[in-house]
Amino acid sequence: MVISLHDVVVRLGDVDALRGATLDVDARTVAVIGENGSGKSTFARLLAGLVPAASGTVRVLGLDPARDVTELRRRVAVIFSNPDAQIVMPTVAEDVAFSLRPQRGHRKEDRDAAAARVAAALARFGLTDLAERPAHDLSGGQKQLLSLAGAFVREPELVIADEPTAYLDARNARLVSDHLLADSGHRLVLATHDLALARRCDVAVLFADGQVRAVGDPAEVVAEYEALLTC
Amino acid sequence: MLSLYRAGDSPLHRMPAGPKLVLLVVLVLAVSLLPTAPWAAGVSVAVCVVAYLFGGGMPQLAVLAQQFWALKWVVAFMLVGQLIFLGPVPAVLNTMRVTAAVLLATLLALTTRVTALLDALERGLAPLRFVRIDPARVALMLTVTLSTLPVMGRIAHDVREAQRARGARAGVRTFAVPYLVMALKHADELGDALAARGVR
Repeated sequence: MVISLHDVVVRLGDVDALRGATLDVDARTVAVIGENGSGKSTFARLLAGLVPAASGTVRVLGLDPARDVTELRRRVAVIFSNPDAQIVMPTVAEDVAFSLRPQRGHRKEDRDAAAARVAAALARFGLTDLAERPAHDLSGGQKQLLSLAGAFVREPELVIADEPTAYLDARNARLVSDHLLADSGHRLVLATHDLALARRCDVAVLFADGQVRAVGDPAEVVAEYEALLTC
Repeated sequence: MLSLYRAGDSPLHRMPAGPKLVLLVVLVLAVSLLPTAPWAAGVSVAVCVVAYLFGGGMPQLAVLAQQFWALKWVVAFMLVGQLIFLGPVPAVLNTMRVTAAVLLATLLALTTRVTALLDALERGLAPLRFVRIDPARVALMLTVTLSTLPVMGRIAHDVREAQRARGARAGVRTFAVPYLVMALKHADELGDALAARGVR
């Protein structure tokens, strides 16, 4: 099972953002939908080990995010909605290379191997010509592609994306979505408000009031969500 | 990050970041400690020009001129302050030396990638391990601090724009509160992004 939650409660201050969420999913691409405040982002952050569960059990790729943090960071990458907050280094190439710092050795072969992976990631996301450009000078779409390059350069087993197209125009949103959904050996958990994008995933999960309301075929789950919106 | 780095193949570009850092620190200190005399000011300017020539030949002199121009208000402030208290000759000589020292320090950023500086800092700060300070964290902290400056500038611009759009008068309180809120939000998001990229 890729993701397994049993009766999970996540408390953010005085608010229970997740209230007894239970879910077992094993699919290559999973869309997570729901209204603002329904628990989607908290769910994504829980899987990434960025917020702890107050109670219940959580397993991601068989790991406990609270206990197996180092292993989780090695195997899981996260994309956030705001690409500005993900830029750490001054230039595009250096920012991608930064993702490999924690696992990079100090020998010349390690550095050369890391440089080759960075070059491949830049090429994959169409950033080769921008490699020496200041990262903060890129457009919003280019910055989000840089975030993807920084995530995928680590060759993660699972990518968790929290509304990655929220700040993008239609063209860039499509480009980013295509990259995320492409089968390159990774699994994807995608929290999104874009219902057309959710329909392109293998499974959809609907959150409401901090609980899992529906899991299954994206067309059916999206239809259930749309029915809720018209109530 | 405020990166001044310009790609090149000069001797200074090829020099490892650690020795280059030490060399430029020594030069900056030497220039700073020279006496207030016409020959010392001349030597400072000559050292600066020669160092820039090593950093990229004649084209680098245009970069030197650009960097000097970027410092014009700092130079003017130094000059005016010293003119009042020290008189014209010491003011000009001191300003020449200090400006040369600042321009020499800038040469490090012009010829060194931040990644290389980060590695050099980590190695240089390695003895801190004996007092239980992680040099990698210190180097990263410096990098993140610098990388956040343009973001803080953009947040300030956004807050001012939002105030103007709503017809609010400029004021410390009306600016500081939303600015702090947005800065703290950015800090939270950046912390999450760093954690997600394996930084602990």
